[in-house]
Amino acid sequence: MTVPDVFAYVLDALDIETLLVCTSEEEGKRIALELAKKLGFKDVDIVFIRFQGSGARVRLRAYLNRPGDQYAWLDLEDAGR
Amino acid sequence: MPPKKVLLAPLDPVHDIALKIINRGLRDAGYETVILPPDLPPEEIIQAIIDEGAETVLISRTLGYGVAEVLARFIDLTDAAGIRDRVRVAVGGMAVHPELAQELGFDAGFGPGSTVEETIAFVDGREYVKKFNFERKREDDLSAGYSYEVRHNRIRELLGRITPLILGWAEGLTSPGVQRAAVREELWDVKKWRDHEEPEEFFAEYPKYCEESVRNFYEKGLLHPKTRLFSQKDVEKLKAYVRRSRRDLQTPHLQHKLIKPVIFNQYGTGCPYMDIAHIKASEAYGADGVIHFDPSWGARTEGLYDGFLTHQEDGTVITPANLNRIYRALEYGTLWQVRAHRGLNSPETVVLAGKIGANLTKINICYGSLGAGTDPARLTVDAIAAIKYAVQYQMPFDVVTNEELCGVPAHKALAGMLIVAHLGAALGGRPILQPLFCFSPEVMIGGQMDDNYVDFNVAKIMALRAIMDAPIWPGAPIGFLTQTEDRVQSSASTAFHASLAAMLEVDAISIASADEAYSGGPITVASRIDTLRAVSEGFRFFGHSRMQVSAQATEWAEKMIEGLERVLQAVAARGDFVQALYDGLLGSREEGAYPGRAGVNTVVKK
Repeated sequence: MTVPDVFAYVLDALDIETLLVCTSEEEGKRIALELAKKLGFKDVDIVFIRFQGSGARVRLRAYLNRPGDQYAWLDLEDAGR
Repeated sequence: MPPKKVLLAPLDPVHDIALKIINRGLRDAGYETVILPPDLPPEEIIQAIIDEGAETVLISRTLGYGVAEVLARFIDLTDAAGIRDRVRVAVGGMAVHPELAQELGFDAGFGPGSTVEETIAFVDGREYVKKFNFERKREDDLSAGYSYEVRHNRIRELLGRITPLILGWAEGLTSPGVQRAAVREELWDVKKWRDHEEPEEFFAEYPKYCEESVRNFYEKGLLHPKTRLFSQKDVEKLKAYVRRSRRDLQTPHLQHKLIKPVIFNQYGTGCPYMDIAHIKASEAYGADGVIHFDPSWGARTEGLYDGFLTHQEDGTVITPANLNRIYRALEYGTLWQVRAHRGLNSPETVVLAGKIGANLTKINICYGSLGAGTDPARLTVDAIAAIKYAVQYQMPFDVVTNEELCGVPAHKALAGMLIVAHLGAALGGRPILQPLFCFSPEVMIGGQMDDNYVDFNVAKIMALRAIMDAPIWPGAPIGFLTQTEDRVQSSASTAFHASLAAMLEVDAISIASADEAYSGGPITVASRIDTLRAVSEGFRFFGHSRMQVSAQATEWAEKMIEGLERVLQAVAARGDFVQALYDGLLGSREEGAYPGRAGVNTVVKK
């Protein structure tokens, strides 16, 4: 029995929320997307960003499954989970 | 037999709240209890156990530091005092877990999240069986108990003139949508279909009333470009997923101590599998009902597809297999609404929803024809047929006023809603009024919500209640255009609107997810959960508290009724409801309402 990749447990997307230390919303966007890239995510979007004061509050989303994809979580029972 | 005596003692300098709660539970359950104050030395507690002749001892320890040492010493002291063999001892606390308790020599341990019932089971010496809420939730007919009496004399007289006008106009007319509904009604037997019996007669007849793209599906097997069929293997995986989801599913009561409003969530990711995942999460977090949202192209297409289909964009395609699979995944008691309100398949959707088992549907004329692109004449003919089928299948239906989002003022939108509701009631239906709780273009320009989002929404409810005795289900979703992409702001806004709805004692609400304002991708399940949690917190916070209706809300309600009456007067004077829609009496081009083109010139004589 193979152990599923941990990403198989994610239903649809991962949201990453943080405050990025930067000087503008534009810079925040650039950093956020770079962060997603560094974490290895490809299907990424910035759901929410607001620059205020010392940085940008960001809600970054990486879709692992979009509707209509083949969802790995459907195979979890086969994997004994 | 005398009740068991239980001694409760906080082995803690300060904290004893949990023990007090358990003490109350035990007393209510008929036990004799003794509760000691905090900060007693262990030796004194041991002496009290002996003096009181307690059979069971419940120790609590909230503080985490030194917990193991303190508790181990206590057990040693019970041994030394010679009482350990005759007294059962349990411990509870934030740093306690069953394994630790056992390791330290206790008979049981209760950590965070433990319940009074668990403790009572321990005192009783029986195994605790976790209760799952498998009782049917309030499924019920949201329209029960309403008379549909029009309370406002002048408006009663006007609606009483308009309804016969509509029915008279539609007499002898039909459309491809009405014809398809009749074919579906007569030649498609849900029981036989569920028994895998091919409805050959239906397939021979149905495509005749469909447009070419749908005919191509039935005759040549060509799918809509954005769809694909699931395989049988996919179906088996889905069934396994639903089984897994049900295994430990509890369906909590989101409303705290309130009975109303019933909470609805809308799904429609495009994929029935993903929809089911959204539905199971919604149920697990307390939604009472779910609403099927279909793609916008479906509303402009003459005919429904068939098969178990997934769709790559927003909205889940209406097919018998898609609806049936979703229906089968619902928990017992989850209300299910299938929308049929805005397009060319309205009556057939109602038939299909009714046959498959939906509790509710959605039928409309004014919004569908002024804000959603369907020809007014076509939608009027189709809506009358849809209402009749809703009556046949005993499905109440909401009548929404989404044309407000185009810019139609509330009083006009409410007038249109009341015309359709009155028509529905006259045909024997159970319409539900669905005013918007929204930050509409009208108030953005007019400033009615410059100070707060409350008064104008309250005015709508007050106006409707003054006019008609009918159920009210604000939507859809509540807080439309107040939410942003910020998860916290969006959830909070929905929760505030939900709390307002609860204070107004409306019958139901449709709520957004925290992704309501995000248009860059699909709604996530986590966002849905966030909003349900926020709404739950709102209900918990306000409970049965009520707000005082402001003078401003009262004034706006009165103005709304006056405006609404003027609109009805104009429609009645026109003597032709459909022409009134084309002419802008229920929302003009200047206000952002445009009579739809889909299905134009398709109304024919029978």
